Amino acid sequence: MNTPTPYLRIQHLRKSFGSFIALDDISLEIKEGEFICFLGPSGCGKTTLLRAIAGLEQQEQGRIVQAGQDISTLPPQQRDFGIVFQSYALFPNLTVSENIAYGLANMRLPRRERRQRVEALLEQIHLPGIGDKFPGQLSGGQQQRVALARALATEPGLLLLDEPLSALDARVRLHLRNEICALQRKFGITTIMVTHDQDEALTMADRIVVMDHGRIAQVGTPEEVYRQPATEFVARFVGSMNLMPAEVLDHCSLMLGSREVKVPMTLPVCERGTLGFRPECAQLQSAPFGLSSDHNLVLQARLDHVHFMGAFVRLEMMLDEELPPIHMDLPVEQMSSLKPSVGESLWLSVPREALKFYPAESPGHGEVLPRSIEADLPQDMAAMQVTGA
Amino acid sequence: MPATLSLTSSPRALNTETWLQRLIVAGGLCFLLAALLMPLLTMLVKSLQNAAGEFAGLSNFIEYFSNPALTRSILNSLNIAFWTTVIVVSTAFVFAYALTRSGMVAKRGFRLLSMLPLFAPSLLPALSMIYLFGNQGILRDWLPVDSIYGPVGIVMGLSFWAFPHALMILITAFSNSDARLYEAARSMKTPSWRVFLTVTLPSVRYGLINTIFVIFTLTITDFGVAKVIGGQYNVLATDIYKQVVGQQNFQMGAVVSVILLLPALISFAVERRVQRQQSAQLSSRAVPMTPQKSPLRDALLALFCALVCGFLLLVIGMAVYASFITFWPYNMALSFNNYRFDMMDGGGWASYFNSLQMSAWTAFIGTAIVFLIAYMSEKIKPMPLARRLLQLLAMLPMAVPGIVLGLAYIFFFNHPQNPFNAIYGTMFILVLNTLVHFYTVCHLTAVTSLKQIDSEFEAVSASLKVPFYTTLRRVTLPLALPSVLDISVYLFVNAMTTVSAVVFLYSSETTLASVAVMHMDEAGDIAPAAAMAVLLMLTSLVAKGLHWLISHQILQRTQRWRQR
Ligand SMILES: Nc1ncnc2c1ncn2[C@@H]1O[C@H](COP(=O)(O)OP(=O)(O)OP(=O)(O)O)[C@@H](O)[C@H]1O
Ligand SMILES: [Mg+2]
Repeated sequence: MNTPTPYLRIQHLRKSFGSFIALDDISLEIKEGEFICFLGPSGCGKTTLLRAIAGLEQQEQGRIVQAGQDISTLPPQQRDFGIVFQSYALFPNLTVSENIAYGLANMRLPRRERRQRVEALLEQIHLPGIGDKFPGQLSGGQQQRVALARALATEPGLLLLDEPLSALDARVRLHLRNEICALQRKFGITTIMVTHDQDEALTMADRIVVMDHGRIAQVGTPEEVYRQPATEFVARFVGSMNLMPAEVLDHCSLMLGSREVKVPMTLPVCERGTLGFRPECAQLQSAPFGLSSDHNLVLQARLDHVHFMGAFVRLEMMLDEELPPIHMDLPVEQMSSLKPSVGESLWLSVPREALKFYPAESPGHGEVLPRSIEADLPQDMAAMQVTGA
Repeated sequence: MPATLSLTSSPRALNTETWLQRLIVAGGLCFLLAALLMPLLTMLVKSLQNAAGEFAGLSNFIEYFSNPALTRSILNSLNIAFWTTVIVVSTAFVFAYALTRSGMVAKRGFRLLSMLPLFAPSLLPALSMIYLFGNQGILRDWLPVDSIYGPVGIVMGLSFWAFPHALMILITAFSNSDARLYEAARSMKTPSWRVFLTVTLPSVRYGLINTIFVIFTLTITDFGVAKVIGGQYNVLATDIYKQVVGQQNFQMGAVVSVILLLPALISFAVERRVQRQQSAQLSSRAVPMTPQKSPLRDALLALFCALVCGFLLLVIGMAVYASFITFWPYNMALSFNNYRFDMMDGGGWASYFNSLQMSAWTAFIGTAIVFLIAYMSEKIKPMPLARRLLQLLAMLPMAVPGIVLGLAYIFFFNHPQNPFNAIYGTMFILVLNTLVHFYTVCHLTAVTSLKQIDSEFEAVSASLKVPFYTTLRRVTLPLALPSVLDISVYLFVNAMTTVSAVVFLYSSETTLASVAVMHMDEAGDIAPAAAMAVLLMLTSLVAKGLHWLISHQILQRTQRWRQR
């Protein structure tokens, strides 16, 4: 089944609005039947890219090849896709059936067959018997599913969804996530969904395309994107991550705030950067013994706050006044067995695999902290020994 | 191989649809260029030519400005426009305030009555003034000046006619209020006069400025009222008529037209700027306020509104009454004698039926053209520059006085070398001229309603491979139907009542009722003139009534989807 050539190939796409560059040298390949999410903050160009694929925006440069055909300059009528907008864009004066059958009318299907297809689609979106209602009489979630059915009715090769769930409340959204995924699998249709909700992207997509300022920051499976964020931007944007500005001393030690820290990895040659790890990757240690600093980053920090989050507990720890607080997530049971108290000094360790280091992009640009600040630090903090025993 | 095949064949298929769109945009552009811009430019050129048609530089203008009898009209026009604007805007301001912000009784009734002048030809209040304050008028002694024929008559007549225009804008401005601001002010124990100065006034500021400019433009360009009741008091619009019809001096007519176009263009430009700022002013989360009751204030406001409506009714009632008087003031018996138009100047009943026919065509063709052009400029992708130009041209008629447009049409369409020369003197040129004259408001109405329709409908239908015209017919048009009906009734009523735009363009076969009113008045048949004006008003009211019936009965049945 897996064809070696991708179903959709985007090459060096570029689009600007006036002097503003909305898409900058975008290249991407999508396999047949894949579920792709475009993820990124507001204004990063997700919608623009989606509309360029649909032919609703004309790119200045670059090629789009779909199913072996160069569609770069084709108008939307000539491309093969179905689309669902955030507003659903259901025709309010047509019934649900008429909406779904809208694109079938010019496929020269006999009337009976058309009706059967509409019935079948209504069945598949689990809304049988609403065919005679008008869109205004449906709930948001129902409208959403009707819009999906309308887009699927003509059996397009590519399904485009622009933030299809963002207008719904949280509960309906969760439910529809599953429904969209199920439909997508059933039809086996190549799907691109735009979202700025990382949970949506992580749970639904086969692969995620993280975008930032009109560029692609990373392409990968949800697991890759979560575990191996390629850039500091991705790390910040997907999930939560402790990110600490650091000054590189040599290939295995850093200055974190005012402390020298030995890291269990080989650092790239640069001056400054950011050290990061996920809150759930850190372990709480009662004592710094028995931990190899070759495999773990070991830090001592003061516990400042404990936030109860339901399934887990989030600890807010202070490593250094100059640094943002470190978060770590602990299962509730572990918390109750360790019973740390606020104000106490604790040891935490992070395994080598969970550590990320991102060199600063423009060395020398970031301001270097004056050494003299160290002298002003509280005595107990400055005196803390950080490296493992 | 198949891939290349489909590649070569597809661009041709795309073209039927895109080409159709381009064709319509180009057609719309040609329409506005030929029916609006070219005539105006021709007129501009004429103003720089001598009687023989040779280029004469600014000599016409020099001649104009060295003739104090002519330049006086500039001051006269400004004077009239100034006083009418002051009176109308201040009255409408209080009236709109009473309707929107007070707990006054009978608001609906006041509002309905205040809209009546929209359905009357502007000649009607002028004729009424003659019966009220003329030499044999019933209220002759109340008039503080010597004669109603002059500035006082013009200002009173225009005030009547312009009032609903001001009121509509101000009501909208007052309705866009934010109750939260008032609550905040009250919670800080602000006295009500300060609330008015610091909250109310700023919130309607743009609407107020806008109204001032709209009324100023309307009144400085008006022809009908000044024609009937101006007497020796000349204004720019009547000067054009006198130069062209009286002295056959077309060049001077063109010069005065250019001069009249200037203040209209300036005030139009200012008004557009203000309009653009206003839309950004109101936040989408504003909470509409519910008016509070306050017995004394409400009673005073009701009294004020009653006086204003009393004046409007007096003017209309006077015309209606006078039209039934056999021979004012000698035989006060009631009869239908004045309605025997065939005995009078101006074309008789035939002109009434011509007017009906002309209005029906304008409403019918005009609505189609307006909607199609508005659709193309709003919803279609190709030819962005042409569509921008289309939008710009669509705004221009607002600033062109009817009489100027009419004169421009003479110059342009009566030119022997013009291929459209054949339409000169036909019903068609009247329809065209009237449509262009009232184009802007219709265009704005259509654009506003199209903007409210989801902009992704076209994208969705493209993805479903449904051509744009199918979506236009099945979705966009049904959704915009109420505003389409609004446009058609607006065009019908205005075509029925307009004088200025068509006064140069009718022929002996296409005499119009509104022009007949003017001619009967010129011939001294004031009562039949009033009768025809009343008939026109009645016809407009019937059209409006039908419109109401259609939009409330038929729409409710066919547009089931509007109900939840
Ligand atoms: N028609 C346009 N004209 C000018 N600028 C535009 C236009 N469309 C988009 N932009 C700009 O391009 C940038 C990317 O827009 P886009 O709609 O693709 O963002 P997005 O990633 O979908 O954001 P959101 O999550 O808010 O939908 C934005 O900064 C936007 O202001
Ligand atoms: Mg978007």
